[in-house]
Amino acid sequence: MPNLLEVRDLSKRFTSAGGPFRKARSMHAVNGVSFDLPERRVIGIVGESGCGKSTLARLILRLIEPSGGAVTFDGDDLLAKSPAQMRKLRARMQMVFQDPYSAIDPRYTLIRAVAEPFEVQGVTPEKPMAEEVAELLEMVGLNPGLATSYPHQISGGQKQRVGIARALALRPSLLVLDEPTASLDVSVQAQIIGLLEDLRAELGLTYLFISHDLSLVKYFCDEILVMYLGRAVEALPDTAAPARHPYTRTLMESTFEPDPKKRRLIAPLEGEVPSPFDLPPGCAFADRCPNASGLCRTETPALSTETGHAVACHHPI
Amino acid sequence: MASRSLDAFARMSIGRAFASGVGMVAGGFLILLVLVAIFAPWIAPFDYAAQNLMNANAAPGWPHLLGTDEFGRDVLSRVIHGARTSLSVSATAIAISMAAGMTLGAAAGYFGGFFERAVMTIVDLTWSFPDILIALIFVAIIGPGLTSTTFAIAIAYLAQFTRLTRAQIVRLKRETFIEATINLGAKPSHILLKHLMPNAIAPVIVVGMLAIGDGIVLEATLGFFGLGAQPPTPSWGAMMSSGTAQLFLSPWVIIFPGLAVAVTVIAVNLFGDELIRALDIRDRLRGA
Repeated sequence: MPNLLEVRDLSKRFTSAGGPFRKARSMHAVNGVSFDLPERRVIGIVGESGCGKSTLARLILRLIEPSGGAVTFDGDDLLAKSPAQMRKLRARMQMVFQDPYSAIDPRYTLIRAVAEPFEVQGVTPEKPMAEEVAELLEMVGLNPGLATSYPHQISGGQKQRVGIARALALRPSLLVLDEPTASLDVSVQAQIIGLLEDLRAELGLTYLFISHDLSLVKYFCDEILVMYLGRAVEALPDTAAPARHPYTRTLMESTFEPDPKKRRLIAPLEGEVPSPFDLPPGCAFADRCPNASGLCRTETPALSTETGHAVACHHPI
Repeated sequence: MASRSLDAFARMSIGRAFASGVGMVAGGFLILLVLVAIFAPWIAPFDYAAQNLMNANAAPGWPHLLGTDEFGRDVLSRVIHGARTSLSVSATAIAISMAAGMTLGAAAGYFGGFFERAVMTIVDLTWSFPDILIALIFVAIIGPGLTSTTFAIAIAYLAQFTRLTRAQIVRLKRETFIEATINLGAKPSHILLKHLMPNAIAPVIVVGMLAIGDGIVLEATLGFFGLGAQPPTPSWGAMMSSGTAQLFLSPWVIIFPGLAVAVTVIAVNLFGDELIRALDIRDRLRGA
């Protein structure tokens, strides 16, 4: 399969202006992340809160302007696009947001919210709008009778379904899922994940799935990119691959095992995540890593791609 | 579809504002007042400018229910026509102020940066001048009259509307649905007009409603000092001013226009409070 998305050395540095009484500070939210996403594949981006995974999603969609790097979507260099070209392209790359509760304008009825993508892109659907919206609502498992409801009248899971219907209205090829289930009840999470799986098979979609939940990512994704403090530290080519980075291993070990006989002692991670404002030299994980050596504290390991299972570590497992 | 949902919200809230006893009385009075202002020429029993020096300073009675002033003009007719002046000047001024303030505030909040700082600095500057001084500047430039009064009131309230709108837009801009709509490929005009403004407008309208009350007081003040409506145009402020001369001889000349100002402003404020409660936006009015 050809690559739908190619991300090269993507970076974002946020800077706060200095003043007479404080120093200018800068924070590397995303630091040289590269990966390829072939068509119809699902890549999972995992990492703990604040590791830059949501920022990465927004950089790829150019909702935030990157400080450096390149994003190629279906052969098009996104960062070279004018605002007008970008607006048109957005129809093909959509996003489902983490917080369904504020993802719909509270003054919009569902029919208006789901019809908005067509209005915004100036697209007239083949069928009458009401019919088109009803079909979209049915596709995401909602009763079309809800079309005239307001967002406050429906549940969180239903709101997330509306968000998915909005994202799918223009038949995108890429769907970025930014923790689409993180603010939902567990039972509802399973429904949404099931829906996303069905839609992918039905519409041939490519997913970029962001989550802090490694077991969910392992279940849902074809390959996994692990992030730590803005950097990609490991790229697992498939979900069965054993962890090679100590951080990934800790993440995997900390997932809950349903079978009590298979449970083992979880070695908790020592130490604090360093402040992203003043990153220590060397590997950002060194202070928390059991295998850290002197080299780790002086030299940042690069993501080596020799074996097809890339890892950024001086002492991989 | 846009206006339909907006209307539904507005109708619901205004209905709720009328639902309480206070809201009903205050709102009812205001509707009555607007009707009186509109139909003043047909309601007023006498010509507001007709002088009758033989019957000057007549006490309230028949046929002059509220008495006559120093020129023998019917006070009731002048108060009724005064409602027209007060309400139209105040409402026009606030409408201008709201339109300008919402545009400036929305642009400042949406675009941010240097533009925002420039707009907010200029707007805050207008706030640092006393209202009367602003009025005097306009009187000096275009002479006394209702045009000066209108512009003075409009400038006096510009900062309030600008700051309030800006605060709303800045708050709303961070909502996920704005990012989601940008990601659909929406133009800035769509974001501003279809999402940000409709969600920002309710508190601005309520503050506008309350400001009409303050505008009436300011109009009366300017009229009192002779900077507003010029004779023989009846204005509550100007009437009170001429009434001071015979405060003890014929107090009704000053009392009735004064009462009209007071009752109107109280009604506007009470109804405004009910609207704030009905729309549930008390917390959103802070910081403006």
